[in-house]
Amino acid sequence: MEFLKDFWRILRADKTALVGGIIVLIYTLVAIFGHLFAHVSDLPAGGQAYLKPSGQHLLGTDFLGNDTLSELVIGTRPVMIVGVVSAVIVIFVGVVVGLFSGYVGGFVDGLIMRITDIFLTIPGLPLIIVIASIIHTTNPLVLAIILSVTAWAGLARAVRAQALSLRTSDFIDAAKVQNLPIGNLIGKQLLPNVGPFVAINFLLAVTGAIYAQVGLFVLGVAPVSGTNWGIMINLAMNQGALYTSKSMLYLFAPMGAIVLLQVALVYFSRALDKLFNPRLRVQ
Amino acid sequence: MVGYLARRILMAFVTIFVVVTISFYMVRLMPGNPMQFLEAQLEQQGGVSPDQIRQQVQAIYGVMPSGPLWQQYLTYVGNIFRGDFGNSMLNPGQSVTSIIASALPWTVILVGVSLIISFVIGLVVGTILAAYPESLFSRIMTGVVSFLSAVPNYLIAIILIYLLGDLHHVFPISGAYSNNTVPGFNLPFIGSVLYHALLPMAAYVIVSFGAWSLAMKGSVTTVLGADYVRAAEARGLGGRRVTQTYIGRNAMLPMVTNLAISVGYMFGGSVFIETYFAYPGLGYRLINSVNSRDYSLMMGCFILITISVVVSNFVVDLIYPVVDPRIVKPGARRTKITPKPEAALQTPEAMNA
Repeated sequence: MEFLKDFWRILRADKTALVGGIIVLIYTLVAIFGHLFAHVSDLPAGGQAYLKPSGQHLLGTDFLGNDTLSELVIGTRPVMIVGVVSAVIVIFVGVVVGLFSGYVGGFVDGLIMRITDIFLTIPGLPLIIVIASIIHTTNPLVLAIILSVTAWAGLARAVRAQALSLRTSDFIDAAKVQNLPIGNLIGKQLLPNVGPFVAINFLLAVTGAIYAQVGLFVLGVAPVSGTNWGIMINLAMNQGALYTSKSMLYLFAPMGAIVLLQVALVYFSRALDKLFNPRLRVQ
Repeated sequence: MVGYLARRILMAFVTIFVVVTISFYMVRLMPGNPMQFLEAQLEQQGGVSPDQIRQQVQAIYGVMPSGPLWQQYLTYVGNIFRGDFGNSMLNPGQSVTSIIASALPWTVILVGVSLIISFVIGLVVGTILAAYPESLFSRIMTGVVSFLSAVPNYLIAIILIYLLGDLHHVFPISGAYSNNTVPGFNLPFIGSVLYHALLPMAAYVIVSFGAWSLAMKGSVTTVLGADYVRAAEARGLGGRRVTQTYIGRNAMLPMVTNLAISVGYMFGGSVFIETYFAYPGLGYRLINSVNSRDYSLMMGCFILITISVVVSNFVVDLIYPVVDPRIVKPGARRTKITPKPEAALQTPEAMNA
């Protein structure tokens, strides 16, 4: 309770973080309940293409005659699901590898860190593109796994650095004296201490996953089926949105949706940073 | 120093080796892999004997599809270390190596120059943000910079094309140089190259200088509070001496480490930016080959992008001991000065670069 109060106090003091948090909340709600209100059909009625914004179509219609706003709403869910699932994978792998490596130390630590370095060096996006183009999946879980293929490495390194400094602390010595198993040491003793850091990185991992995922669809590397923001941008570009002003809204609406969500996530993560980092709180 | 260098060189080779292994695995072992796909395709077309099919496959992937797996693997790795990536599927008779060789310089120029420009801008802006946090410039810039570092680079590219390339026909939006010029060391050609590279570079710089500024700001802020800075001030050293020798140098350290990390992201970002500006570099070739299922070219581009990143990282590793001599001493490796959590936080944002 004390924690929530503190959190609310910081959010109220930091207006941008508050706005960011509210926007993230709205996106989440839209992702969960959006399909109850919006509709997108594969074969829309003819003669509705490229309508201008009106009371009935707030953001106009696309080249097929679908309502752009409805597509935005429907497209929220797949993007958010893949983003969150991918972030969960990244966080899980990164934290487990980092804590284990930092705690165990010695040769194993050196070996794990060399492997991590390799994954840090391989350019993530080209690797993701190559894998996605061969696997060609529409399954959100598989897509999320592909997206997190290299992203865990940076987190693992940072978490390991923290574990290194924690392992010499008194409470770890106390736990060792009690002969607690390594699972307990890592899960119950070390994990809570890196929790805040992980929470912030979770939000950033979501932004990273959304960036890469939408990028795949925009480039047309991931299969273009269904409705999501990346596919909307891809189709708009392919319909020549840059060359005619007719489909401009169809192009810029999903772009706006992505930018708004990304910026909101980053601002919201700063509030978390302040919450957990007393040094920043004083400033 | 020798041990340090040996370690770095070894790591570079191991990394390249891992990537080559990954690419072999994907071309040969994955379910529905490109090599089987090609065999099946040739069989369906009919009119060719199994032997001819195997020869075709070998020409394209450089590996005989029959024979034990370890032999295929050795052939593949051997070929690649000799610079032979097989033939392009879509451009018969053209080797992947020659296609890549013509694409690589463009990417290196584009990424290299943009990286340096955005790095320098980031250092200056970040220092100002940390030194004068209350000034009007800092207040506006903080907003701009944190907004920009959250916007995906491909969206910035699209907006730039929309605003500058097309609507007003100010800048070219495809190619690396005009057809009217003769490639070579002459003024019109160089001018044309610069003219064509301007928009993609602008896109790079706009997207990435924000992340640099934020990282530098964090770094300078940390150093500003350090004891040795206070001690230097207490000793009565001049402001300039303190800012340059004590603050500037130490704040630069994590930035150089970040430089190594961000090279990889820059090459990743080149995929989007080159594709949108139809700039004939590695990223553009990669996406083209993906879209046309030219797998041998695709794997070649991927391996080459990785090698470029590994080499650039290596160059940064060479520079590092000059900036921070502590690093080559045993027991004081780079891991010891891993950036503070706040500084590490910046790296996911740098992904946008």
